[in-house]
Amino acid sequence: MDDARPLRVAIADDALLLREGIAKVLEGGGIDVVASVGTGDELLEVVRGGGIDAAVLDIRMPPTYRDEGITALEAMRAEGSTIGVLLLSMYATPEYALRVMQAGSGTGYLLKERVSEPQTLVRAVETVASGGSVVDPEVVEQLVKRTRADDPLSRLTERERSVLELMAQGYSNGGIAQTLFLGLKTVETHVRSILQKLDLEESPEHHRRVLAVLTLLGER
Amino acid sequence: MAPGRKGRIARRTAVIVAVVALSLWMEIAGFQATPVEDRPEVSYTTLHAIVPLVFAACAGVAWRISPTRVPPRLMVAFVVLWIPQSIYYVIGGIDWLWPIVRGVDLWWAVIAGILVMVYPKGYLGDRFDRWIAGIALVASLVNLLGVVLLAGPQDVGCDCVSPNPYQVADAPALFSLIDNGYRVVGGALALVIAARLLVRWVRASVPARTVAFLMPLALFVWAVTLAAQVVTYATASTADTVLATVSLIAMASIPVSFDAGVAHARNMRARVADLMRITREGADRGLWAESLARTLRDASVRVYWWDEERGRYADAAGTPIEPADANPRGSHSILPVASPLGAPIALIRHDRVLTDNMRLLDGVSSALRLSVDNGRLRSEIERTLEQVRQSRQRIVEAGVEARRRIERDLHDGAQQHLVSLGMRLRLAANTARDTDEVQLATELEGTITMLNMALRELRELAHGIHPSLLSSGGLALAVPELAGRCPVPVEVDVQAEGRLPELIESTAYFVLAEALANVAKHSGASRAWVRAHVVDDELQLVVRDNGAGGASLEAGTGMLGIGDRVDAVGGTLELESPPGAGTTLTMRIPLGAPLEP
Repeated sequence: MDDARPLRVAIADDALLLREGIAKVLEGGGIDVVASVGTGDELLEVVRGGGIDAAVLDIRMPPTYRDEGITALEAMRAEGSTIGVLLLSMYATPEYALRVMQAGSGTGYLLKERVSEPQTLVRAVETVASGGSVVDPEVVEQLVKRTRADDPLSRLTERERSVLELMAQGYSNGGIAQTLFLGLKTVETHVRSILQKLDLEESPEHHRRVLAVLTLLGER
Repeated sequence: MAPGRKGRIARRTAVIVAVVALSLWMEIAGFQATPVEDRPEVSYTTLHAIVPLVFAACAGVAWRISPTRVPPRLMVAFVVLWIPQSIYYVIGGIDWLWPIVRGVDLWWAVIAGILVMVYPKGYLGDRFDRWIAGIALVASLVNLLGVVLLAGPQDVGCDCVSPNPYQVADAPALFSLIDNGYRVVGGALALVIAARLLVRWVRASVPARTVAFLMPLALFVWAVTLAAQVVTYATASTADTVLATVSLIAMASIPVSFDAGVAHARNMRARVADLMRITREGADRGLWAESLARTLRDASVRVYWWDEERGRYADAAGTPIEPADANPRGSHSILPVASPLGAPIALIRHDRVLTDNMRLLDGVSSALRLSVDNGRLRSEIERTLEQVRQSRQRIVEAGVEARRRIERDLHDGAQQHLVSLGMRLRLAANTARDTDEVQLATELEGTITMLNMALRELRELAHGIHPSLLSSGGLALAVPELAGRCPVPVEVDVQAEGRLPELIESTAYFVLAEALANVAKHSGASRAWVRAHVVDDELQLVVRDNGAGGASLEAGTGMLGIGDRVDAVGGTLELESPPGAGTTLTMRIPLGAPLEP
């Protein structure tokens, strides 16, 4: 990411009110909103035009109001675009979050109401633009809450669970250390222990770790 | 009642054997006791002996087929009362007995007459018959009294009897008057009965005539020979052998025709029963008319059905009735059949002679009425049921659609607005912070927190109304998500290729939601399993738990609601919940549109 140049972002949402609000929040965070459209197809056109670092888009858009946002993301990835993509949803649906992560790195899934937390939204856009992953904490909360017989999470300590939840939200080890006021070494130890206990492989790619953790949470 | 029936048969057999033995004894003993020069021809005696045997045999048959027990009893009585004249050679010396026997030795004729009159119903049908029977009985009693009190040894055909101990007066003229008067009255009554029977027979329907012709004929022949005998008896006191032989044969044919006629009537009733059966099976009109013709043995039968739309009668092929047929003259009659409320059903054109067989025609019209009523009721019920099914499906569809619309309205409206409201509040709070209005900023931030709580609640509410995941991902995504919300750990297995019709997906989703809610609330289970498989043309849903069991489809509204939802899309519900062994709820929902209008 080039610090000298502000991020260039395109927004897609069928609700004009929200589109404008998101633009305002992002601009307040020093991000350039270069395009603002109402459908996934229009966003694809904009992305194909180039010069975009990230896209923020609603999941439910015309014409069917189902999962147009995710479809657009998958289309972008299929066309070779690697820009950051942050999907916004009215619902915290783990199944959608997984699908978003499966589309590749530089993706994120947030609840729409996070627009009232400008820093969260701006940081999420910056994260996906730089190839990182973002998953809404509520999605992770829902996944963790899911009851399973013979739950592998029961093998984790309280602290490890907190670390795991942050891992699932897409935090890097550094981010986790900052959030939990821990030393980086301590966090790395926790992460290793968690991966070992849950029988997960350490992946060099950050988003693979998120995907693995989410998948584990979803499937356990 | 096998033992009772067996006992009855044994008793009846014993009675018949006894009376036959008595009859044979009377014939044989009488014949042997008769001096050789006075003996009638052997052939006549044999024939005379055969008549009661025929009656006895017919009594056995009549006991089985006759509508009442009167005819067989009459036949048995006949056997006993068929007393040969030769018997006086045997009992002539028994002075207390012979006058009584002499008094009843013609009663067999009364019995035969009554037997004819009770044909075919087994009882005296009308007042006229009862009068005749009454007169015959009174005359017989008067005759018995007269004979017992007045008869002398000379009044018996042989010269072999002792004096009558009951005799109160020696009045040969009076005795002759009573004796001959009784025979004349009897002969006259026999003629009346025969004439009446003949008239009835001439007017009877074709089928009734074909078999029952023997009876009036026999009676008629017998009555004529009897009359002739009466005349010869009165004049010469001897009987003509030819006349007597014909008379015997005519007499023997009476019980035979009785049994044959009753058997035929039973057969006829069986055919009406067949007609009823065809009716119940809902045969078409053409077949019904054919069966009717067969039942009535009248190939000229036509059935014209009332056509409500056109307001006319027409046959099964739709050809309207000819005016000439509607008001027939001559050989045919019309039987109108109407529903109990008076609505016309059909006209049956039949041979006029059938008019006399009202019971048969009654049966026929009942069958027809039943048929039409059945058909009408059935189609009405089917129509109503179909309407109810369709309207229920429409209601369910409307419900699903309404839920979806409400969720979407919430999503695009209230939720959207509240989210942008939160955003504006945040911007305002930030501005407040920038301008050091700390109190306002804190206030605004508190409001945002409250707003987000409200949004969260609204989100849950909207999700409960209609999960957006179901619309976009179908059961394959929505069911695991649903199971994840259940406090009891659930193992999910969904195999549904592609998407199913929306109504079926939402029905399946909500019944699974209710079933899982039941598991969480009532079962006390620690594990649950949800299976959703598409097998052939149906979606099979199974919700199983390892809880307490003992659930029933009646108890609680949960199961009832599940049943209603499954019912509404033409599916079935099966509940297996033995106490202490968990609960398995199996639902099958047809995928094809089963309720096409």
